Amino acid sequence: MSYALFLGCVVPAREPSYELSVRKVFRELGFNLIDLKGATCCAPIPVESLSFKTSLAIAAYNLCLAEEADLDLMTICNGCFQVLSRANLLLKRDEKLRTDANDVLVEVGKEFKGTRNVRDYLQVIYGDLGLEKIRGSVSKSLKGLEVATFYGCHILKPSSVLMFDDPERPHILDDLVDATGAKSIPYLHKMRCCGGLLRGISDDLARKLARDKLFNVSQTQVDCIVTVCPFCFLQLDLGQLEVSRRFNEPYKIPILHYPELLGLALGMTPDELGLHTHRIPTEPMLNKIG
Amino acid sequence: MSAKEGVEVKIREPLRTSDLDQSFPEEIMKHPGGEKLYLCYQCGSCAGGCPVGKITDSYRPRQIIRMALLGLRDEVLSRDSIWLCASCYTCQERCPQGVEIADLMLAIRNMAADKGYAPKAFVDQASALIENGRIVEISDLTERRRSTLGLPSIPPASIEAVRKIVAKTTFDKLLEKLRGK
Amino acid sequence: MVEKPRIGVYVCHCGLNIAGVVNVKEVAEYAKGLPGVVIARDHRYACSDPGQEMIRKDITDYGLNRVIVAACSPRMHEPTFRKVLEDAGLNSYLFEMVNIREQCSWVHMNEPNQATEKAKDLVRMAVVRAQLLEPLEVKEVKALKSVLVIGGGVAGINAALDLAEMGFKTYVFERSESIGGHMAQLDKTFPTMDCSICILGPKMVEVSRHPNIEIISYADLLSVEGFVGNFKARIRKNPRYVVAENCTGCGECLDVCPIEIPNEWDRNMGVRKAISVPFPQAVPLVFTINMDHCIECYKCIDACGALQAINFAQKPEEIELEVGAIIVAIGHELYDPSQLGEYGYGVYANVITSLELERLINAAGPTGGKVFRASDGREPHRIGFIQCVGSRDKRTGQIYCSNTCCENAIKLAVQIKEKHPECEIYIFYTDIRAFGRGFEELYRKARELWVNFIRGIPAEVIEDPETKNLIVRAEDTFLGEMVEIDVDLIVLSVGMVPPKTLEELSRILHIPRGPDGFFLEAHPKLRPVDTHTAGIFLAGTSQGPKNIHDSVAQAKAAAASAAALLSKGRIRVESIIASVNQDLCLGCGLCGEVCPYGAMKVENKKSSILEALCRGCGVCASACPEKAISMMHFTDKQVLVQVASAFQG
Repeated sequence: MSYALFLGCVVPAREPSYELSVRKVFRELGFNLIDLKGATCCAPIPVESLSFKTSLAIAAYNLCLAEEADLDLMTICNGCFQVLSRANLLLKRDEKLRTDANDVLVEVGKEFKGTRNVRDYLQVIYGDLGLEKIRGSVSKSLKGLEVATFYGCHILKPSSVLMFDDPERPHILDDLVDATGAKSIPYLHKMRCCGGLLRGISDDLARKLARDKLFNVSQTQVDCIVTVCPFCFLQLDLGQLEVSRRFNEPYKIPILHYPELLGLALGMTPDELGLHTHRIPTEPMLNKIG
Repeated sequence: MSAKEGVEVKIREPLRTSDLDQSFPEEIMKHPGGEKLYLCYQCGSCAGGCPVGKITDSYRPRQIIRMALLGLRDEVLSRDSIWLCASCYTCQERCPQGVEIADLMLAIRNMAADKGYAPKAFVDQASALIENGRIVEISDLTERRRSTLGLPSIPPASIEAVRKIVAKTTFDKLLEKLRGK
Repeated sequence: MVEKPRIGVYVCHCGLNIAGVVNVKEVAEYAKGLPGVVIARDHRYACSDPGQEMIRKDITDYGLNRVIVAACSPRMHEPTFRKVLEDAGLNSYLFEMVNIREQCSWVHMNEPNQATEKAKDLVRMAVVRAQLLEPLEVKEVKALKSVLVIGGGVAGINAALDLAEMGFKTYVFERSESIGGHMAQLDKTFPTMDCSICILGPKMVEVSRHPNIEIISYADLLSVEGFVGNFKARIRKNPRYVVAENCTGCGECLDVCPIEIPNEWDRNMGVRKAISVPFPQAVPLVFTINMDHCIECYKCIDACGALQAINFAQKPEEIELEVGAIIVAIGHELYDPSQLGEYGYGVYANVITSLELERLINAAGPTGGKVFRASDGREPHRIGFIQCVGSRDKRTGQIYCSNTCCENAIKLAVQIKEKHPECEIYIFYTDIRAFGRGFEELYRKARELWVNFIRGIPAEVIEDPETKNLIVRAEDTFLGEMVEIDVDLIVLSVGMVPPKTLEELSRILHIPRGPDGFFLEAHPKLRPVDTHTAGIFLAGTSQGPKNIHDSVAQAKAAAASAAALLSKGRIRVESIIASVNQDLCLGCGLCGEVCPYGAMKVENKKSSILEALCRGCGVCASACPEKAISMMHFTDKQVLVQVASAFQG
């Protein structure tokens, strides 16, 4: 199974452990991830807010690259997933939008044809492999580990476009966590936004939303939070230091990317996965699983 | 507590018919995502689920849609609060009339940007995109760190393609204008 | 009481419902020892076929002349057991039901011993009462198979057609010149946007042609006497000065008449001649001369020529109708908003009501379908609708919601927008009530056509003295901002109010009104078309504001109810009624004053009961100062021995 890996901007630049764990885990599970040559930023909210037309065109450009490589795109960021999925669907469905986009793309010698799909890495693991195979691949069960999962927003909504999981009560990530032997624990306001996209617009609001999420998780006994989006990760990992300071509430909740969790369950070491690059120390949680 | 000298007020005239411009909501409806604006019947489900609305009274999506429906063009486009939407899409999921509120907010932002209103953060990020092909630059330091960890070099982004695209959509001009402000 | 009582007592187990708490065998055993009791049994299900058979057999075998069943509530099976007695040849009123379930075993579930004692007390009380029970006559009155429908609007029309189809002779009484009512004034009906007169007109013609229907129009209802199955209505037919049989509706007289008067049908915005019909589709199509304005030039007689349909010597004619049932469908009137000074109706030229807009928009109306402003004859470019005028309003006294105004305003707005998309429309509302089938879809269409809805009832309307435009001041409550919208035309969505003739009719027919002034139905949920007076039914807006769909449904229900009542040609009347001891009666008339059913006749210094109307409520008996009135089956003696027995236990 081969996919064109769409890394986006944040992951390669700021979250090396995430990228490491994705590459290693997917290779271990038998996938062939090919870096998409020439891929640019997907053109998310900051660009969409100023010119939707431009964002659509840039997204279309990246979709064309995948079409040319004759591969489906695999994203590892909720934002990239939503922008590219939506662009793909809109351009496939709406003739006028497609014509307008192709008018722009002709400048760079590309034409959107709508032959390929966009999938998020969770969909790939869940859909292509399935829980059985994952459970079977686990060599070091994470039994005893209690985890708070956080889906983020843009992998689920708008559900009529993304069709990933139930937007109010999703289960895919929780199932995938349970497959490693760890246990997903519910917590208050699990589905509420982390506030990531408010950074730079209103840091006060962004901080408050991050703080509220950390607070709600801290009311349970979980050992860590598992995220699936690099933006949410930043808000809760790097952002945790800021929140602890500003609100005078010292939080020490390790944040893990799902592929990192899965990597541990597949028997990889924390160093292999680059966990030391996290801002919030992961030792407490690692000690628990031995 | 002490007796007040006087009460501070904001003097305000009522909205007049001349303030209402029906072409405004009609224009919004031409943007992708804005098509269902006319269906809003102000039930308030959007405001009820909004995470931003819960922690500040500076943002009320229902009110913004109300102003848009009435045709208060300048009021809406110049408003700071249209940039406070976190784009979490909860409102869009729940709207009983199928109004695509989060996308509508983006359409309103597009129109605001055309008028010269935009937050610096977005302008900077978009400018970085044109400069580097990515919003977040992969500097030499980052490259070294990556290789220490065993990560491969990633193919460079097609900066040329991005520049050609934004030239065609005149986005580069828009950013210039917005940067100039 | 002539014969010696031979009482059978049957105590029912009702499965475990009674027997699970009350020791029914013990109660039956106890009953055996009571005076007059010949046989006492218990049974698992007395109401079942075997149970009934057992009682029937006992009546024959033991020569019983009184039967008591101690079981569930009489509301459940009293009729069942009364029939058992009837089948066995006993008068069904020699039966007494004792409730040892709802009023004993079910409410004393945790106290079985005391419940059993209570059951015994109740049975003992029933036995002493049973000894005093007398047979009652089962009475039937004949029922005329004819119906008087008062009111010829859409409700009256539909009720009449259904009744006529079922074979009943039906009279449609209409006070005004033509049937049709308000529906005939409308342009379109919501939500289907059907042309109103196009769907009503054929029904009006059907009414005029149906062999079983007789229309009595341009008349007054003077009195109604009698009782269910046998009503007598006196009606005065007012002179049209036109001979109905000769008039063909050709309109030649119309052309030559020199007098023009305001046409009430067009809300006085248009004119009609002194001799005319109110609208072209009038049924019956007979002209009428308005003698208040006629100058007796007699040009009409000349124009009429050989038909000789005009007769200035016509006199009023009184007729009497005998019918078995009456359906009241007199409709509604609209609230007159001139009382609400803040909206300037009647003062500002360009403030009109919804019905007036309806007549303007109607192609058959005074302007041929064009909406003009009264002040300058221009077409409006911006129209403001104000909802809830006169309704939901404590000041005006109509605190109810008028049901149709929301959807009606939406209908008019959509109509205007479809013809004139450039015309701006603002609807100022409190709530949008689009509850019926298809209503929400029309509301959606209105929003699609950019009808602007502002939630906020205007406080006032100000007129610009030069342009005669109007400024509407309201708060857009959703925005929290004051708005001032200047419009060319204001349409007030006025609510429905009871018609002026309703009060008198309620007195003539003895039907009460609700606090909102409309006729009161017997029960708001379960008897929506009945009144408390047997034989009189309600349909349409005179029973409360409603739209055409609901009026028609109600009319058909009323027709079915009337038909069911009259279909056998006989009606059973209540046997448990009052009776007056003529020797004791002083003729004071107090009983007649308190009787809610008009069942007391006081003449020649004596009162007597109109048996068919009496419902056995007992108010007269308690009011009578001489104790001259007793209630059958509940005589003082019967009640008092029960009371004495209760304290005896």
